[in-house]
Amino acid sequence: MEKTIPQKARQKTKAILEVRDLNVAFKTARGKAKILEGVNFELFPKEILALVGETGSGKSVTAKSILNLFGNYPGQIQGQVWFDTQDLLTLKDAQLESIRGNRISMVFQNPQSSINPLFTLGEQISRLIRLYLVPEIKMARQENNLTEKQAVIHIARQKLNEVGLTDIDRLLKSYAGEISGGMAQRYRIALALLSSPEILIADEATSALDVTVQAHILKLMKALCQKKQTAILFITHDLGIAAQICDRVAVMYAGRIVEVAKTKSLFENPLHPYTRGLLKAVPKFGKKEDLSFVPGMIPDLVHPPKGCRFHTRCSQAMTICRREKPRRVAAESRHDVSCFLYELEK
Amino acid sequence: MNESLMTLSKVNTWFANEKTITGKPVSWIKAVNDVTLNIYKGESLGLVGESGCGKSTLGRTILRLVPLHSGGIRFMGDDIASLYGKKLRPFRSKMQMVFQDPKASLNPKMNIFKILSEALYLNTVLGKKDFLEQGVKLLNLVDLRPEHIFRYPHEFSGGQQQRISIARALATDPDFIVFDEATSALDVSVQAQVINLIHELRRQLKLTYLFISHDLSIMAHACDRVAVMYAGQIVEVQKAQSLFSAPRHPYTRALKDAVPVADPSSKKGLSILKGEVAKLSDLPSGCYFHPRCEFKQDICSKEPPDVYKTGKRSWVRCHFQEALWEQRELMDTKESA
Repeated sequence: MEKTIPQKARQKTKAILEVRDLNVAFKTARGKAKILEGVNFELFPKEILALVGETGSGKSVTAKSILNLFGNYPGQIQGQVWFDTQDLLTLKDAQLESIRGNRISMVFQNPQSSINPLFTLGEQISRLIRLYLVPEIKMARQENNLTEKQAVIHIARQKLNEVGLTDIDRLLKSYAGEISGGMAQRYRIALALLSSPEILIADEATSALDVTVQAHILKLMKALCQKKQTAILFITHDLGIAAQICDRVAVMYAGRIVEVAKTKSLFENPLHPYTRGLLKAVPKFGKKEDLSFVPGMIPDLVHPPKGCRFHTRCSQAMTICRREKPRRVAAESRHDVSCFLYELEK
Repeated sequence: MNESLMTLSKVNTWFANEKTITGKPVSWIKAVNDVTLNIYKGESLGLVGESGCGKSTLGRTILRLVPLHSGGIRFMGDDIASLYGKKLRPFRSKMQMVFQDPKASLNPKMNIFKILSEALYLNTVLGKKDFLEQGVKLLNLVDLRPEHIFRYPHEFSGGQQQRISIARALATDPDFIVFDEATSALDVSVQAQVINLIHELRRQLKLTYLFISHDLSIMAHACDRVAVMYAGQIVEVQKAQSLFSAPRHPYTRALKDAVPVADPSSKKGLSILKGEVAKLSDLPSGCYFHPRCEFKQDICSKEPPDVYKTGKRSWVRCHFQEALWEQRELMDTKESA
């Protein structure tokens, strides 16, 4: 059954994906860990949004909850994820199946382990082509007078060529373990973009790769997504990547989004004390001075700090920060921040 | 600073790839090729390169943890290349290593006191009753609190675990430490803390260290001098500050240009190095980098380049280093266009 949708509010924003008040908690041996708390963001068509933060800040959990990829893990997901006119969190697995990998696809950190090791790369891509590209197969058969099998291989060749892979004949017969990390990630991207999805979620897609290969993959993803008009949610801990390829950046800390802004605005004028600390800790070429850092550690999410979750490490913490949760305010145009320093100003 | 602590001359570390039925190697995986390098007293030397280029193998070769194929290694004047087994023991305590994954390199069944005691027991003359005092001293050095000493590794965060690894390395009062990707598994903020700690320890204890990393941007923060490695060979050595403002070797330049800079106003973008890393079992002829080099000429595929000195303690291995150096402004304008 479909929920009643606040139709007016939905049409005002042109966002392709809207995450509203997402709360995720997992049961652990020590109690309930409140991993995400009131996560709100929207992804616009054709845009690249970076989700940055330290390890354990909830970046990947956010991505997985969009497609409800937790399986039977004991936990709770609350909130809404609006895609089109549907709330993905209310859909059954069978209904989600038509969206997962088709209209929203995902690329993971470790490419080799996200390819099935028991089937050749050719078998895996063929299966997806038969699933998603039925009209293309028909067209290829008519144009070039091919059998269905030949047509599928023909399309596979084209698609793998698009992501810059060479020696495709050998590749189609290889298994996941026989190719390098860079090749595997290119293959994964080809699979993810096969159905021309509206959204691509890249979860640390280049973190396991060398810088030279990473540069390749980043450029490729950007170019292909522009061509296919796909929006990307780019999850990364590398602020350099966010600065270089993303249009907007959302900074996460301990399960909350603390700041969202256009890339330029965020890097030139970071507002949240955490963002400022994080940017100062990034090593710079040819600079010798000691690096500065945010003192302390990410809090235990079974017993998160009261009020603002960052106050235990914040040098500008006030009494109100210890008692109440900050709301998201627009400090500047299209630059939102959740911090009392700016909320009180308004 | 003028005395050489570690001298490598023409070091080769090769592993057998295929063997005949009698165990005689037929082909080799050449992980380290013809490395000649001095590490001076009190210096911090960085070692960068892509994965699989032999960085870690070189680090392990220096500490004599992997068998040497040929070449000489001198440590404070003593030849350690020809020593094996027990004869190496006295040198082991003087050379230590810190690994990438702190969780995997600390025994989960031992508390911190035991971990540190093991190092103290094997490599120092201290009596058992002094271990506790010495252990607390070591924890102090790495900014951990004395009460941490009876806890187990899993009770600590990644950054703290790496501090414990460093404390264990320091337990034997070493002269030389190899940090093998010691900060790669850490978040930027934690990485900054650990690098600052390494700096501080170096000042206090007059350490010499080799800092292996794939991350070029932390090099200038962590090191004085940097060696760039490609396919088992060192292609360039330079002062850390000038290496990335004025790279000499085409490979160094390509590496630098591939790093995403955390500054959206830098319009340089990401430039791309073509091709794949050379296979260590099947190295190209001539200059190992020539199949991927955009400035290659005929000679590059035929003759291996010599070493050209570019300054005190810095050199580059490229046929055309002089011509490229003169054209560097031209190339920079081409890039920005």
